[in-house]
Amino acid sequence: MDATSARYLPYIVVVNFALVSALLIALAKFTTARPLTELPGERQNAAELVLEWFVGQAKRIHPASVTIIAPFLATFFLLILFSNLLGILPVPVLRIPPTSYFSVPLALAVVAVLGVIAIKAKIDGAWSTVKHSFWPNPLQLVADASHMLSLSLRLYGNIGGEYLVGVLAARAAPYGIPLVIDTLGLVPAAVQPLVFTLLTADFLATAGLGGERAAAPGEASGAAKEPRSSTAVTEVQ
Amino acid sequence: MKEILLIFVPALTLVPTAVAAAFAMRKISSTALEGMTRQPQIAQQLFTGMLVSMALVEALVIYCLVVALMLAGKV
Repeated sequence: MDATSARYLPYIVVVNFALVSALLIALAKFTTARPLTELPGERQNAAELVLEWFVGQAKRIHPASVTIIAPFLATFFLLILFSNLLGILPVPVLRIPPTSYFSVPLALAVVAVLGVIAIKAKIDGAWSTVKHSFWPNPLQLVADASHMLSLSLRLYGNIGGEYLVGVLAARAAPYGIPLVIDTLGLVPAAVQPLVFTLLTADFLATAGLGGERAAAPGEASGAAKEPRSSTAVTEVQ
Repeated sequence: MKEILLIFVPALTLVPTAVAAAFAMRKISSTALEGMTRQPQIAQQLFTGMLVSMALVEALVIYCLVVALMLAGKV
């Protein structure tokens, strides 16, 4: 990163994030341009392939609210994935991933945690949500704060660290080595959105939607009925 | 003395955590892969569980990285 890029970094990040958002909206319009059919075409098939996984996760969390939960999770996944993948573009300014700037992961984490609260309020009502946060003790608020911290730091640490390594390697050896670093960077770029989405889904699953705890993602269905503290994830972290 | 400490403390903060996390991740991945091999029908569930577990372990290292970077910034 040169001095000019460093000076205008916040603006570059905002523009890049807006570009990713615009790209995703255009992609969504493109894939759903034609009316949906029972025998899907190429575009519909591609869109269904992506959405099917999120619908499966949403069904595990709360089967009656798939239309609320699946888009919530899918938005995070696609937004973070495409933001991370900006880092492999060979264009000087455009290749700064928005997720390598701490404000963006923090904003995403805040929206994720507030979104979980909003979804609980929509499904169970505001009183139940307040009761969940304050009864029997207000530790749930601490859990929410630590969720924000852990989600944002994890995403920033991985993508920001990867980007920093790429920049340092490019300074040390401009030819060849950055290609290797960028190729290795594809792994966290693809895994981190998955982790962010899975943990958000886990927070939703432990929020007790519909008055009972659902199976967390990756959990066997037989274990769904076992009680688990809503702060279990926080305690581990 | 303070300057010397500020050089070594970030590294000493990060290295033991990274080593411990590497051992934890080894345990998580080997157990998950063993489970996947024994029961391929629940491989997807084990894979997701493995990713979440690794993310939780990784979070600890990243916390230490942040502390180390904050300390390194004071040098």
